[in-house]
Amino acid sequence: MNLKQTIKLAAKSIAARKGRTFLTMLGVIIGLAAVIILVTYAQGTTKQMMDLMKSMGTNQIQVSAYKWTGGSSDDVVFNSLYNYCKQLDDLVVGVTPNQYCWFTVQYGAKNSNNMYSDDGSVQPPQIWMGSDQWAACNNATIAAGRDLTYLDVQSGSQVCVLGSYAAKMFFNYANPIGETMLFDGVPFRVIGVYESRINEETLTEETQYYVQQDNFILLPYTTTRAFQIAGSSNVSTGNSDFIVKAKDAASRIEASARLESFLKSLIGDSSTGNSYGYYNVYSNDNYIDSTEEANRSQQMLLGGIAAISLIVGGIGIMNIMLVTVTERTREIGIRKAIGAERRSIIIQFLIEACMICGIGGILGIAVGYVGTLIVCKQTLGIILLPNAGITIGAFVISVGLGIIFGLYPAIKASGLQPVEALRAD
Amino acid sequence: MLIDIKNVFKIYNEGEEREVRALNGVSLTIDRGEFVAIVGQSGSGKSTLMNLIGCLDIPTYGEYHLDGTDVTDLSDRQLSHVRNKQIGFIFQGFNLIPALSAYENVELPLIYQGIKASVRRERVRDALERVSLWDRRDHKPTEMSGGQQQRVAIARAIATHPPIILADEPTGALDSKTGIHVLEILRRLYKEGTTVILITHDNGIAATVPRVVRISDGQIVSDGQQEVDWL
Repeated sequence: MNLKQTIKLAAKSIAARKGRTFLTMLGVIIGLAAVIILVTYAQGTTKQMMDLMKSMGTNQIQVSAYKWTGGSSDDVVFNSLYNYCKQLDDLVVGVTPNQYCWFTVQYGAKNSNNMYSDDGSVQPPQIWMGSDQWAACNNATIAAGRDLTYLDVQSGSQVCVLGSYAAKMFFNYANPIGETMLFDGVPFRVIGVYESRINEETLTEETQYYVQQDNFILLPYTTTRAFQIAGSSNVSTGNSDFIVKAKDAASRIEASARLESFLKSLIGDSSTGNSYGYYNVYSNDNYIDSTEEANRSQQMLLGGIAAISLIVGGIGIMNIMLVTVTERTREIGIRKAIGAERRSIIIQFLIEACMICGIGGILGIAVGYVGTLIVCKQTLGIILLPNAGITIGAFVISVGLGIIFGLYPAIKASGLQPVEALRAD
Repeated sequence: MLIDIKNVFKIYNEGEEREVRALNGVSLTIDRGEFVAIVGQSGSGKSTLMNLIGCLDIPTYGEYHLDGTDVTDLSDRQLSHVRNKQIGFIFQGFNLIPALSAYENVELPLIYQGIKASVRRERVRDALERVSLWDRRDHKPTEMSGGQQQRVAIARAIATHPPIILADEPTGALDSKTGIHVLEILRRLYKEGTTVILITHDNGIAATVPRVVRISDGQIVSDGQQEVDWL
């Protein structure tokens, strides 16, 4: 009796028991699809959050520092910081003020005060005042036109660079370069547009993160005076928020320590009360690390739930297989009585279990993929495919369970004397 | 001698208080081409004897030579081959596989023999025609009457052309008219030279068989030849 015959026997046996076959397959399909969807969804949310954080730039050191100088000079701290960072050029990529401003922005009929959407998903652009190194510090690269230059900053040129979403808000798809925008009535010429900072794979235009990441306008921080002359009350004198961008994670830790001691010597130690202002050095990366940690444990939790559902699915498969054990025991008795060897009975049942679980497994993967696409599109707004490792792992486990439990009655019953197996009813 | 059983015991729960001696020292020889009825009340041990003869079970003690081979020495796999090639079973409860059609049920022992598909088809057709069920070949057992199911079982038993047909109460689940039909098929097989062993509790049936072996309490109490009207 050859393998081809055995396969035919198994196929015949499956075809003859459509109801049972379907129920067994259902167990595999649901178990597998649930695992794929759950795990992929968890990975999707994690990746989306991490991409968002990384799009703002890693290895950033946030510095808040202010020194009372009797109101004479605005930029004492930044100038000192800038010069100090030049000495750290093996650790530091750039340094910039990072001042957030509440200007009313106008271009033609468009006014930033009218840019709040009803649901709050769209807001007017954020205005930042920074140096020519602001882009390097904030992960922004120029897409069209040019970036701020050292000269722009030194001379306080009234020029601005737009984030890609801000450009779309004011100019739609028209070319903004060379156009003049008004910030609290003060005119600035648009000199460039930045590339989108969004990873398009995980953050699409439909998610509001998109808006936050590219909806900004950068002005040279040295134009503060122009606003004061124009009578705007939306600028503060003297910058107190800075970003120092380190080369990598190790440099960040080193640079943070050095900046801390530098600022201590510049401003004084607040803990002793012998100080002329305040300072604070911290990094988002600490937050990213701890978020990553939290995400990992969330993923483990979801993975655990998925594993449980897989086990429950496996038990379902086992139950279906065992419910028919009497029927199959008698069948095995008949087959042995008319001359089947133990081996050929086991092989037939093995092939049967492989076919049922294999087909169920493939259908389960299909349902899992479609389910993942629908769930991720509906809840995360992105198109995400399950990773191959999870798919293969879940397939192997659920199909393996089905085969083991499908084979169990055959192994047990085929070892009986035929007369005992025939007695089952 | 085709079947040679010497001083065979089948004992359940041996040595315990509830020890049961289903066969208690049975010796029996059957020659090729005989038609033998093994007759006894229920619990007499006749079914146990039939299971041993059919190699469905092994004796606790004693010798059993089938066509010169000591069956008690054979492995599980060799026993499967013996059942497949030497013996055709007809059971009281038919024992067809419910999921398979009449054709597939009859074909099954031929598949286990490893016979080519074209030869199988001829053999299945021949066997089913002999029980007049070729036109019902695609029916499942549940779609047939008891008599038809038993005829399918007979076709399955004869499809491999075994030297021995073992029939355990083949008419027990049938009405008398279809029962007679089944017995006629067995007689025909006997006339063609097959060794037929019929197990029954029915003295009326036993009266129509040339050799009758009576069994009671696990022992043979009589063994004799008789004249029958159909020969």
